[in-house]
Amino acid sequence: MSPEPKKLVKFKLNGQDVEAPEGQLVIDAAKGAGVEIPHYCYHPALGNPGNCRLCIVEVKGAPKPMVSCRLPVKEGMEVTSDSEAVKRAQASSLELHLVNHPLDCPVCDQAGECGLQDYYMKFGKYESQVREDKLHKRKRTEIGPHVMLDQERCVLCTRCTRFTEKITKTHELGIFGRGHKEYIDLAPGKRLDNAYSGNTIDVCPVGALTDKDFRFKVRVWYLDKTASICGDCARGCNINVHTNTKRPWHYEGRRVVRYKPRYNEAVNGHWICDDGRFGFKKYDEDRLGRLMQLQPMRRELAWDPALAEVATALREGVDTKGADGLAVIASGALSNEDWAAFHKLFVEQLKVTRLLFAPEPDQLGVEDELLRRKEKVPNLMGGQALGFGKTIASLSWDQLAADIEAGKVWGLYIVERDAAKVWGARAKALFEKCGVVVFQGPWKGTTGDLAHFRLPATCHLEEEGHFTNFQGVVQPYYKALEPLGVARPDWQIFDGLRARLSAPRGKVGAR
Amino acid sequence: MSQATTAAPFTPEQQKELQGWTTYYPYPIMGLLEAMRSVQTWHRCIKPEDVVYLAELFKTSVSHVHQVATFFPMFTQRPAGKHRFGICHGLSCAIAGSNKISKCLEKTLGVREHETTADGAFSWEEMECIGACDFAPALLVDEHLKGKATEEAVAKLAKELK
Amino acid sequence: MTKILTQHFDNPKYHELETYRSLGGYEALAKARNMTPQAVADEVKKSNLRGLGGAGFPTGMKWGTVPPVEKAPERFVVTNADESEPGCFKDRVLMTLAPHQMIEGLLIACHAIQAKWGFIFIRGEYADQYDVLKKAIAEMEAAGLSGDVKVRLMRGAGAYICGLDTALLETMEGKKAWPRQPPPFPTVAGLMAKPTVVNNVETLSMLPHIVANGGQWFADIGFKGDPEKKLNPSGGTAVFSISGDVEKPGVYEFPMGTPLKTAIEAAGGVKGGRKLKCVIPGGTSTPPLTAEEVGMSMDFDHPRAFGTFLGAGGIVVLDETRDMVEVAHNIERFLAHESCGQCTPCREGSEWTTRILERIMEGGGVEADLPNLQRVGENITGKVICALGDTVGVVVRGYMKKFPDDFKKRIPTPTAPANPLPAAAGAQSAERRDAIPQK
Repeated sequence: MSPEPKKLVKFKLNGQDVEAPEGQLVIDAAKGAGVEIPHYCYHPALGNPGNCRLCIVEVKGAPKPMVSCRLPVKEGMEVTSDSEAVKRAQASSLELHLVNHPLDCPVCDQAGECGLQDYYMKFGKYESQVREDKLHKRKRTEIGPHVMLDQERCVLCTRCTRFTEKITKTHELGIFGRGHKEYIDLAPGKRLDNAYSGNTIDVCPVGALTDKDFRFKVRVWYLDKTASICGDCARGCNINVHTNTKRPWHYEGRRVVRYKPRYNEAVNGHWICDDGRFGFKKYDEDRLGRLMQLQPMRRELAWDPALAEVATALREGVDTKGADGLAVIASGALSNEDWAAFHKLFVEQLKVTRLLFAPEPDQLGVEDELLRRKEKVPNLMGGQALGFGKTIASLSWDQLAADIEAGKVWGLYIVERDAAKVWGARAKALFEKCGVVVFQGPWKGTTGDLAHFRLPATCHLEEEGHFTNFQGVVQPYYKALEPLGVARPDWQIFDGLRARLSAPRGKVGAR
Repeated sequence: MSQATTAAPFTPEQQKELQGWTTYYPYPIMGLLEAMRSVQTWHRCIKPEDVVYLAELFKTSVSHVHQVATFFPMFTQRPAGKHRFGICHGLSCAIAGSNKISKCLEKTLGVREHETTADGAFSWEEMECIGACDFAPALLVDEHLKGKATEEAVAKLAKELK
Repeated sequence: MTKILTQHFDNPKYHELETYRSLGGYEALAKARNMTPQAVADEVKKSNLRGLGGAGFPTGMKWGTVPPVEKAPERFVVTNADESEPGCFKDRVLMTLAPHQMIEGLLIACHAIQAKWGFIFIRGEYADQYDVLKKAIAEMEAAGLSGDVKVRLMRGAGAYICGLDTALLETMEGKKAWPRQPPPFPTVAGLMAKPTVVNNVETLSMLPHIVANGGQWFADIGFKGDPEKKLNPSGGTAVFSISGDVEKPGVYEFPMGTPLKTAIEAAGGVKGGRKLKCVIPGGTSTPPLTAEEVGMSMDFDHPRAFGTFLGAGGIVVLDETRDMVEVAHNIERFLAHESCGQCTPCREGSEWTTRILERIMEGGGVEADLPNLQRVGENITGKVICALGDTVGVVVRGYMKKFPDDFKKRIPTPTAPANPLPAAAGAQSAERRDAIPQK
C-alpha cells in the first residue's frame, strides 16, 4: 500500500540544488541529500513539536530563522544550514540544553551514544559560562520493570511522553510542572510497564531513560553490532544484536548484551516489543556445545561417528519397522535453509509421515495490534512455503503421545523443541517406549537430559540464514557470534545425515 | 463514562456540578479547567483520586489531567489554606516594598511561603503581577483584591478570617 | 482631550445595564446587526484600530483572515481578559467600571464574523471582575440582547502565558498553556480547530464607538501615520495604566500619538518631586526608556526608533533611587516563573539569566558576566516559540544598553583577583536548588 508519489520540487540547500517531494519536511529532505541537521525532539514516528530549537535553519526571505522540522519544502526555497548564524544558533541551543545538565558522563550509560555528547563534539566545544549551581531533580528511579529514569539528565524533548501517547496509547509518562521546574514523571498511579516500554530507552536522546538491565554492564564503545532478526515471534522485527566477546569480565561473560531495533518500514517500523528486546539472555544460558550420546552409555562423540551412528539407527528402523514408525518433532524456529534441508531428509528421503511442527500450545502467546504475533517462533511461514501446514499436516502432542503409547513409534527425532517439557511427567515413559530418541537444538532444556543422542545446534545468532515472517517477507540475518563448542547449524546436521543415508548400503560410515 | 466510580471522592451535588461543566461549553473537554477549579475549591488541592475521577469524566488520560493540575499555580498538590493570601511581586509592587509584606505574612501567619497553617486556615504565596499596580504593594485574598498591603491590613485580615 | 472608553467613568452606576443604555449603550449593537457583517468589518478596517493587548495587529485585517462562513460555519470570538503583563491594569478597570461596553463590543465582533459563541477568558485573580461580568451578562441576556450568541466566561488559573492567543486557546481546550506554532493561525484554525478571533478587552470595548460614529471618526482621532518615515497609523485612543513612582497611579486615556511625558504629567509627575530615571512604556516586557526619551510619541510605530514598543500601555515610572539591575532581575525572575517550559532556550535561558543577575546583585559578579548576558540574550531572542522567550533576551539587553553604569558598578574592577567560580553567596548555594519537591 504505497502512497501516491508526490510531486517533486527543487530547492536550494546550502547552495546546492536538491529535489524532494513537495511538502516533505526540510529536515528530512536535507537528510535525504546527505546533510544532517541536529535535533532532539523531532522523530518521524512521533511528530515534530519543534521545542528543542536545535534544527534551526535560515530561509531566504524569512524574517527570522526557522525550525526545519516544521518547515515543508516548497519550490524555489533557499535554505542554509551551515552559515555562521546557524552554527551559532545550534551551539547556543546546545549550550542552553547543557546549562542545568548534570556532569554524569562518567556514570551514565548513555555515554558513547549520547545526543549531547555527540553534538558537543560536532559543534559545541565552547568554554562553559556556567558559574551557578545546577538545578536538582530526582535521579536513578526505577519507573518500570525495564526502565530507569533520571530527571536531571532529561532535556524535555517530549519524545518519551509522545511515545506513550501516540504509539502505545497508554499515557504513562507526562511532563509535569512548568518552566524550569518541569520534570518527566509517571502519571499518578502508573508504572511504565506496557509491552513496549523499552522503546522509550531508544527514543530518549540522553541518559534520562536508560535500560535497567543494561545498567553499568559494559560501555557501548566496546560493543560489536550485527544486523539480525528477532526470533521470538512471527513478526520478525529487525534488530541489531550488540555483543561483547572481547571483554568477558563484563556482564558475567555474556556474549549478547542487548538488542536494539532496526528501522524497517514494512515490518516493525522503529520499534520492538519488550519480550523480544529483553529475551536475549537465553542465548547465553543452558546452551549445548558438546555432542553427547546418553543412552545406552554416556560418551562424548565427534560429528562423523555421531552422524554415522544416528544414520545407521534411522536406516535400520526405517528398513525393518517402516518409515511411519519414525516421528519427527520440529518447529517454526527453523530457518528457511533448515526447512529445506529438513524437507529433503525427512520427507523426500526417509518418507516420514508422522510430523509435529504446529505451534500449539507451547509456542503460542499474546498477540496485540502493534507488533506481537501469537506464534512465538519466527519462521512457520518458511515451512509453509514447502508445504508444512498446508499439504503436510501436523500431529498434536496428545495424538503423538497416544501413538507412542500404542507402540506405533520406534524412533523420535526432535529438532529445536523441548518436547519433554511439553509432555511433562509422562515424557520419560514416552521416551523409553521409543527405541531411539535423537535431540538436536541449541538448548538443553528438559529433553536434553532424556534423549539418547544430543546434537548441539547453533542458535540463529551464530549463523547466517533467512526467516520468512507472517506477512511473507523473507528477511536475512547475519552471524553475530561464533558457535559454542562443536555446535552446527541445523541444516548442516540434516545434510550430514542425508549424505550418509544416500551412500550405498553397507557403506554408511565408519564407527 | 459518566457514572461515578464506587469510591468517588465527591458528594452527589459536587458530582452534579462537575457533570455540568462537561456541557457548559460547546465541547466537553473545554469544561476541564473550571471543573478543576471547583475541585480545588472543595478539597483545597487536587489529589490523585480527583485526577482519576476527572480523567474519566472528561474522557482523557490521567497523565493529561495531572499535567494541567501541576502547570497552573492555582492548583496545588497539597492542601492550601482555607484562605490563600497573595502578595504581588510585580515590578511596581516590588519597588513599593512587597518584600516587607512577605516577611510580615510569614511572621503573622506563622508559616513559610506555600505552607499551610496547622489548623488549615491560612497559606500565603508571592504572586506575579495581579493587575493592581495602582494599589502597590497589592494584596490578594482568595482572588479578591484587598487593596494596598500594610502590616496593619495583614494583621486585621488574619484576625477576621480565622 | 478626547475620551472614548473612559468618558463615563465618573458615573458610579455605569456598570449597570439601565444606566449604560440610558447613555446610548447597546444602540451600536442594534445598528451593527442591521449592517452586513462585511460592512461592520469594513468600518473597523477604516478605523485603524490596532490590537490593544500588546501586539498592535490591525483588528480589521485580523478579522479579514477568517475563512468565509460557507467554508467553516462554526467560529468563535474569544475576549482575552487574561491581563497579566506587569504594569498593566487597564483591562481590570475597564471590566469593573464598564463591563457592558466590552460585552457590547464582543457581540458586535460576533456579528462581524458570524460567530455564535462569544467567550471571555478572564484571569483567575480577577475574581471581583468575574462577579461583575457574570452579573452584567445575566442583565444583558435577560434584556434579550444576546441575539443568537451564547456568551460564556472561563477563568484562568495563574499563568501569564495564557495572555498569548494560542496558549489561551490551548487552555480553553483543557490543556496546559503551551503556545502553538502557526501556521495555521487562530483565525483559520483556533479553538477546537475552528476559526477563532481573539481580541483584547480594550480592543473590543472600542467597537461600539466605531460602529456608532464610523471608522473614519476613529481614525481621525489617533495617529494618522507617516508614510515617508514608514510609520503606520494607529487609530483612536488607548487607555494607559500608570504606576510606579508617580503621585497618582491609575488609568488615563489619551489619543494615539500623545507624547509619553504628557501621560506622566497627568499622573502627577514623579512622586515626591524626585528626579526621573527610567520609564517603561508598555509593560515590563517592553525595553526601558531613559529620562531623556520621554518625548516619545505613544503609538504603535514611533517607539521602534527608541528600541522599544507600545505593548499594552503599562507605563511604569522609576525615579533616581531605583537600581536597574534589581529592576532587570525582577522582570527576568517574572519571565522565568512564567515560562511555560516548552522550548529549551526560554526555559533554561530565563532561569539562567535570573541566576546570573542574582549573583551579580549579591556581589558575586565577574567581568565576563556582562558580555555573557548580552550573548545569551542574543542567542535566545528569535530562536524561541513565542514572544515570552524573545522577551527574556530583549529585557536584560535593554537595561544594559540604556543604563550601563548600574551594571558596571556591580562588577568588581578588573584588577581585583578574578575568581571565575567565586565562593561568594549565590554561586554555590548552601541549599540544594531542588526543582521539584523531593518525596
